Amino acid sequence: MANRPAPLKAQDKLAFLLALVPYLIDQVRVTVDVAAAHFATTPDEMRKAVMLIAMSGTPGADGTYTHETLFDIDWDDFEQRDLIRFRAAPMEDKPRFSSREAAALLAGLQRVAARPEFAARVDIVELMSKLARGATGAPAPFAVRAGELAAIQATLVDAVTARRRVRIDYVTTRGERKVREVDPMSFDGVDDAWYLRGWCLTRDAERTFLLDRMASAELLGPAEVHETAGDSDELFQGASTDERVTLSMPLAGLPLIADYRGPSDPVRIEGDRAIVTLRIAHWGILGRIAARLAGGVEIIEPVSARLAVADWARAALAAHGDETDRDADDATDDATGSNSV
Amino acid sequence: MAASARRVPVEERLFSLVLALLATEQGLTKAEILSTVSGYATRFEVAADRANLERQFERDKEELRELGVPLETVDATGAEGDTKLQRYRIPRSRYQLPDDIVFSPEEYAMLTLAAQVWREGSLSTDSRRALTKLQSLGVRLDDAVIGFAPSIRTRDAAHEPLTAATDRGQQVTFPYLKPGQTAAAHRTVSPLALVFHEGRWHLHGHDDRVDARRTFLLRRIVGPVSLTGSPATARPTADEPARVLDELAALWRSTVATVRVRPGSEADVVMRNRPGTDEAEAGLQVHATDLDILADELAAFGADVQVIAPPSLRNAVRLRWEKLVQTHG
Repeated sequence: MANRPAPLKAQDKLAFLLALVPYLIDQVRVTVDVAAAHFATTPDEMRKAVMLIAMSGTPGADGTYTHETLFDIDWDDFEQRDLIRFRAAPMEDKPRFSSREAAALLAGLQRVAARPEFAARVDIVELMSKLARGATGAPAPFAVRAGELAAIQATLVDAVTARRRVRIDYVTTRGERKVREVDPMSFDGVDDAWYLRGWCLTRDAERTFLLDRMASAELLGPAEVHETAGDSDELFQGASTDERVTLSMPLAGLPLIADYRGPSDPVRIEGDRAIVTLRIAHWGILGRIAARLAGGVEIIEPVSARLAVADWARAALAAHGDETDRDADDATDDATGSNSV
Repeated sequence: MAASARRVPVEERLFSLVLALLATEQGLTKAEILSTVSGYATRFEVAADRANLERQFERDKEELRELGVPLETVDATGAEGDTKLQRYRIPRSRYQLPDDIVFSPEEYAMLTLAAQVWREGSLSTDSRRALTKLQSLGVRLDDAVIGFAPSIRTRDAAHEPLTAATDRGQQVTFPYLKPGQTAAAHRTVSPLALVFHEGRWHLHGHDDRVDARRTFLLRRIVGPVSLTGSPATARPTADEPARVLDELAALWRSTVATVRVRPGSEADVVMRNRPGTDEAEAGLQVHATDLDILADELAAFGADVQVIAPPSLRNAVRLRWEKLVQTHG
């Protein structure tokens, strides 16, 4: 879950240089600090980039770099006053987007277009057409279905924006219904799941609640501000009281249980199987994990967990009634129709 | 700059290459580039380095094109395909963002939010670079709260190679675990669109072995995606992604399961929160794109859920539980 940016590659640094040149020229005269803030970088990195640009240029007609074909800055301003001002520039064009860059923004726009605060102020169709025209080639073929806003979602958006306390009727992974009062801190969507993070007044602690598990949500009075120690990127935190369970599963299924795994949970690869140790709050979660992997999971230890999963599955079969018809078509061929596999 | 022996950083060499190719009208030959452009020129003098340098130049061209720099190759008249005489250039008109493309602070805020949808993987790299380029326009962001961005993960390992292959018009092959089967089979596909629907990434493409269009779930691509070395047999039309999304939405609307849940249970709350769920006398009417995945989700609720219809889904859910009893009994 943590938001770790990948290390910058040469291409990222080049994109930065190509964007920085026209920006600096448009600004005419700008301080290192202001330019650094605009590009969300450090003053030191900005100085390095300006030095690099100032020593670059184009080879002249005879193939050598001369004073006339190089970028030139006002070195006194730069060295003594931390000011950037160009005196000569062989290039000042703003770069277009690549097909993939335009596609990434276009698909992202499809996701956020539904937000009411933009709908009134931004012509989304016009914005998309500008992006597409600003790309070197046809945007790469991506599309994203706009998420629908459910009623509870709208309430929680209001709660976070207006800093209001909410009362939620929540069902835990143990299947227990709880009413909780929460002072919201953030409301984040990941794929199609939404998480409310906030201070739970009942528990007097920071907690994360999954929107899917809320039967209802209502706005109360103003929320208070609470001291938190939390790392706001980490939505899932195992408790020290959790049980350790080791299970064997298909290697290919590892991404499917990513949200049950903590960053330090060990994993061992044996052929096409992965041996994973997870911290589990209660046995009930095991059945859920096993079922998510279409039953292709074996709990290795502890033995009590093996028995718990077997009992859980027997109870489910008993409640379901009837026998399995092994000759029936498997589910998917029905589902996906002729165009899918 | 000429004879200094210092090692030139990659981005500086690429930057110099862009500047040199933008400045030339008629283009530069490979020999001219390698012997004059900063970053190549000092190494050009060492004969032993020459072959390495040529390979370096080939990779650099690819990196520039990936970044959306329109690097063109112009054949010499009467010497088509002769790489020694070919000239390279970047036409300013295709490099430069058109003057009439400007963004208001609101539009800029919305684009920033759109970029934040991608928090990991290849699309986050692409959107980060796009944002960097947007910053060249110098639009100042309002102090207004940006708020909370919905994010989409591209955690499937297949995402990046499929994006790259689609971008370059290349045919791919990958092992695909078809739902309901126990072993993966290799598919050879010309990729046409990647779409995100109901929380999952789908690849739409032309399956070149069966000569028909197919839609694949990225999470069921269970091994590496490799290029076959052949160009794609089909190329996406402009409306391809939108059309695929419409098809998936139609499939979702027409695929309905009837499910009974224990009142007040987690299954009850979660299934009612699912978009499109309706209540009927026989039970909750739940929509899905893929019944096999719905079977995974329903099986997770154990005794709190009972599948009424369709029979195939009933069986799929039971089989998951039976497998667990067999493995652990």
